[in-house]
Amino acid sequence: MIADTLVQTYKVSFDDNNQEFALSGSMRPERGAEMEACIRLLETSIASIRGTFYINVKRLVRLNNVAFHALAGALLKAADERPDVKISIITSSVIGWSTKKFGTLTAKNPRIVVEEYDSEFYPGQSFLEEGGFVPVLRTQTKLTWKHERSLLPRHGLTPGVTMADICCGIGDFAVLVAKEFAPSRIVALDHSKSSLAYARQVASEFDIGGIEYIYGDAAEMLLEDGQFDFVSCRHALQIFNKPEMIVNELVRICKPGGRVYVSNEKISQCLGEPRGPSIQWTYEQLSKLFADFDMDLEFGPKSYQALQKAGLEDIRIESFMVTNRDGDAQAFADMVMAWEEMFAGGMCEKRGDDAAFVEKFRRGFEDHIAAALHPGGYAGWPVWVASGRKPL
Amino acid sequence: MDLGAAPMGAGDYAELLEFDMDMDGFASNWAYCDRVSTYFARMISHNRSDSLLYSNLFSSALNELLETVYRLHAPSGRFACSVARKGASERVTLTVPVDAQTAEFYRSAVKVLNEGDVASRYHSALFTDGPLQPNIGLLELAVDYAARFSIEPTDANAIRLIADLKLEESDT
Ligand SMILES: C[S@@+](CC[C@H](N)C(=O)[O-])C[C@H]1O[C@@H](n2cnc3c(N)ncnc32)[C@H](O)[C@@H]1O
Repeated sequence: MIADTLVQTYKVSFDDNNQEFALSGSMRPERGAEMEACIRLLETSIASIRGTFYINVKRLVRLNNVAFHALAGALLKAADERPDVKISIITSSVIGWSTKKFGTLTAKNPRIVVEEYDSEFYPGQSFLEEGGFVPVLRTQTKLTWKHERSLLPRHGLTPGVTMADICCGIGDFAVLVAKEFAPSRIVALDHSKSSLAYARQVASEFDIGGIEYIYGDAAEMLLEDGQFDFVSCRHALQIFNKPEMIVNELVRICKPGGRVYVSNEKISQCLGEPRGPSIQWTYEQLSKLFADFDMDLEFGPKSYQALQKAGLEDIRIESFMVTNRDGDAQAFADMVMAWEEMFAGGMCEKRGDDAAFVEKFRRGFEDHIAAALHPGGYAGWPVWVASGRKPL
Repeated sequence: MDLGAAPMGAGDYAELLEFDMDMDGFASNWAYCDRVSTYFARMISHNRSDSLLYSNLFSSALNELLETVYRLHAPSGRFACSVARKGASERVTLTVPVDAQTAEFYRSAVKVLNEGDVASRYHSALFTDGPLQPNIGLLELAVDYAARFSIEPTDANAIRLIADLKLEESDT
């Protein structure tokens, strides 16, 4: 059924540091007049800047013609009145419609330009198989970083170390670590060429030099023994059917006295209120779904023993809960939305689940999203991190 | 409101999803356009090659159709919306209760859409001041989503508006 609880809304903000006006969410008003506050902020923002005015619509997922008409009118008027200003609209290819739609403005006034910020990252564009995974990893890392940055020093990450991030995905973690901890060397390895291409692009965009992105197989790395003070492997042991093989490799490339750091989930423990039981049911099913594909999304609490068995000492384990109350409820909701698409969409189909199951399965995700966006709701995703020292 | 998947075919199109409700019920809440289009988009997109992208595009297209119906219809009667699939195409069929005036709107709108030069019509409609033309959503679908429209009378009190959409290059 149609979820009444799903909050449909949009956000408008202006960051005067970056001269960036940002629109996100869903804008489908019935009448142009409903756009008044947004248009007024747009006008005062443009009036306050010099040079280039940026309009970020990367996360504007829906926009009807009523809203576009109002925005277009205000932008064309502003461009007319301020011949000294260039208006740059930043879209995302992930959204699908926005580059074309905003592109119509350039024909009306060439000082309004549209840039698709991620188009170069996707050579095969949107139909690239792994492309759908990128936004999920993005959001996950953004949300976990809030917690991880403060606990990493307890697990051996200190400025100046040499580190390797194995199964780095799109490389956001490496970039964040580079900024925060300034290691002397970072190697980031993954088995997905497109993720690495994306990672390289991001690093160069943010002018973060010195991260070596390597294509490789974590179970059989071409890296030499004993090179790194800190070896991380995040959200990845849980997707291998033989995690011990990977752990052995992590230990092998770690220097004696250095630390191996892993993070994993126990997905059945995701929670939320209201509608706790529906949410719980879905995440228990999600855990089973992964198990049917030989992946153990319950691995988190097992990581202590996995590190112990690999011969590490001084093992430390702790957990944290990513929640909608961490400061970005929408990001939490976006993450769950993406999970729903990947798991209830692609994976259930592969397993051959029937429509009734998928519908109920989806409902738990929907309820988790609703809990995250609910004014009184609470939604959580627990993560376990563990590290151990390689004996001298 | 009834929502259900019915297996009945429309030619070689396989029906995926259908809903119907009283027109006055549908027209009582603007948010229905958004909710119905988003719900449909999610339900039908999972087996497209990029499901998130597909769902975004489909929701945008269907929403414009629903907003058009929301504004232009006879006050009472049954409103139905169904989606059927053939390979890469999606067929949206809207059964809309009409009176003489709204029937004429849909007939002439579809005629215009099939006359060509829709892109310039659409763009000039988008950038004119004042209230939007009521056919703006149909124009957008024809231009940005390469929709092909046809219209069939059902009985004196309703029309059936059919939009064929192809939102991704090939079926995988
Ligand atoms: C769930 S993602 C986690 C990515 C990243 N660490 C993060 O937290 O965002 C798992 C990653 O493991 C990578 N992977 C899968 N098999 C691999 C292998 N054999 N060797 C290296 N990486 C692999 C995938 O390409 C994917 O990027």
